[in-house]
Amino acid sequence: MEEISYGSARRKRLITNTVVYVALSILAIIWVFPIIWVVLTSFRAEKGSYVSTFLPQSYTFDNYVKLFTDTTILNFPKMFGNTLFIAICSCILSTFYVLAVSYCLSRLRFKMRKPYMNMAMVLGLFPGFMSMVAVYFILKALGLSEGGLIRLALILCYSGGAGLSFQIAKGFFDTIPVAIDEAALIDGCTRWQIFWKISLPLSKPMVVYTILTAFIGPWVDFIFAKVICRANADYYTVAIGLWRMLEKEYIDSWYTCFAAGAVIISIPIAALFMFLQRYYVDGMSGAVKG
Amino acid sequence: MKKKLAVLATALMSVCLVGGCGSTKQSVPKDGEVENIRLMVWAPSEDQSKDSGEWLRKCCDAFAEKHPEYNIHFTYGVADEATAATTVAQDPDSSADVFMYANDNLTVLTDAKAAAKFGGIYEQEVVDTNSQTIVDSLRSDGYLYGVPFTTNTWYMFYDKSVFSEEDIKSLDTMLERGVVSFPFTNSWYLPAFYIGNGCTLFEDGTVEEAGVDFAGEKATDVTNYLIDLLANPNFVVDADGAGMAGLRDGSINAIFTGSWDAGSIKEILGDNMGVAQLPSYTLNGEQKQMYAYAGSKAIGVNSSSDHMVAAIQLAIYLGSSEAQRLHYELRNVVPCNTELLNDESIANDMLVTAQNNTFNNTSILQPFVSAMSNCWTPVENMGKGIRNKTVTHDNADEQTQAMNDAMNSNGL
Repeated sequence: MEEISYGSARRKRLITNTVVYVALSILAIIWVFPIIWVVLTSFRAEKGSYVSTFLPQSYTFDNYVKLFTDTTILNFPKMFGNTLFIAICSCILSTFYVLAVSYCLSRLRFKMRKPYMNMAMVLGLFPGFMSMVAVYFILKALGLSEGGLIRLALILCYSGGAGLSFQIAKGFFDTIPVAIDEAALIDGCTRWQIFWKISLPLSKPMVVYTILTAFIGPWVDFIFAKVICRANADYYTVAIGLWRMLEKEYIDSWYTCFAAGAVIISIPIAALFMFLQRYYVDGMSGAVKG
Repeated sequence: MKKKLAVLATALMSVCLVGGCGSTKQSVPKDGEVENIRLMVWAPSEDQSKDSGEWLRKCCDAFAEKHPEYNIHFTYGVADEATAATTVAQDPDSSADVFMYANDNLTVLTDAKAAAKFGGIYEQEVVDTNSQTIVDSLRSDGYLYGVPFTTNTWYMFYDKSVFSEEDIKSLDTMLERGVVSFPFTNSWYLPAFYIGNGCTLFEDGTVEEAGVDFAGEKATDVTNYLIDLLANPNFVVDADGAGMAGLRDGSINAIFTGSWDAGSIKEILGDNMGVAQLPSYTLNGEQKQMYAYAGSKAIGVNSSSDHMVAAIQLAIYLGSSEAQRLHYELRNVVPCNTELLNDESIANDMLVTAQNNTFNNTSILQPFVSAMSNCWTPVENMGKGIRNKTVTHDNADEQTQAMNDAMNSNGL
């Protein structure tokens, strides 16, 4: 009797596992499907935006070559450079803002602490692009809406509001025992040294998370870039460039290049993630042990 | 002492204010004096790319040479005709002095008071060198708001090896001979059938109060025709580039699009490429002509330009026969200057002929009254409804009426 029930339990588990794995595999395929399709399209040799077959009939690398060499109408390399520059600068700035603000709100006690947190909460409820028109006119009044200063304007846009999104990082800092800070204070550390030499090394996963989100935001943004760049094609970012490739004049000859561009812009994000991932895992395995 | 200081400060401030005003005023140079000016010009990137001959820079340089009284510093920006008007209207102060726009955006510009009016000799010159219809497409309340440089419409591209000159006169004959694709779910194209059977938009396109008349038996008949058309095995709905793809692999023999696709189609069909005005279609045994929406593309001048005279002169030059000829040679932009159209080398161009025939014979001026913005989605939904078979012969009547109601309401 016992043996039979043991066998049926195993069989039951086997069936459950099979069902679960099959379901998960199907979901995974559905989920990865569009990405594979974009990658395939980027290597498609047939032109045009629409093809009747799922798999390309022939493959080529020309779409990537065209993307980087045919720069007279849509200058992708330049847009890529612009975006990379803007994203890196605003990533550094806003990571610093977020971490500094979170640290202050977690460790320091001052009069405006509660009001500031409430205000940030309320402001956070509004979508950012609501202020877009105002932001544009302020930048224009400061003379930042023309020429090379557009890059600066975009960096300011993307990093300026970072201090409001401290919630997650503050939550993380709260989990690090204050006793560590106190010990450091007794040893003669300044607040800055505690932040820089003790809290940050203990919060690698949080730092990584902040860097990733701070980089992806400006990297994929379309609305602000479109409003601020207007007719200054020299300062377009990739999001505007990819959008233009789908306009009716370009779509037929640029569609496969659009797919190639989409693959290429995913590379910096993927690279950043892979590089930072090991810290992510390290951090997750427990920072404050021993 | 304090009082004196205050007086001094006030005086200083008022001087600054006057000075501020003075600097925005246009200084009128004396005879023989060269005026230093800055002009910002926006055009599509193709007009500025080296590969297609830098039309804009060449024209601007030529203009500067013709006008020694100005010492012009040009600044170029990229804005295509479809979006330039919106961008200018958003912030005229920091937009181009001279820009190119499609006439369906004229109300966007006039609502924002962003476009300069052309008058006097400049207006006369535009009127003299263009057909009445084109000039009308740039008028609002009697004022002229730009210099036209090309027409903007769609027509038919077909494979000459499949259809004869005689076949292409009727859509139904074409469907017997080969496969035809039409952007059925695109509301820039679909009204062609309705307008063909007597449906009207704002009477002649200018009377906003008159509303849209896409109702009654004449419209229902067309809906029924379209349902049958979709069921025809030789008919393919062109959406998301399906028509072009079909032309490429040979499964489709005729598509409806405009000059922007001409280059790609030439590459596919080669010498077999045919271009023609719209065919007619057979409704209840009668031949009905299809009518496309047509408009123009024009060069506009910013009403807040600091150098109005020079800007208007530049606009006139960019729309002149000389600049249009260069535009045609470099980028195949179909000219609209009446003299130029009589020029043999241009008149023999198949694409020019087709575009102009369409403009003159088988199109209506696309209305640019504000209420026109309510007319796009209902027609698109009708096209999609027929394709998805939710609009059938049984409910064609009420669905057509619903479309008409939606076109006449602002959705609020």
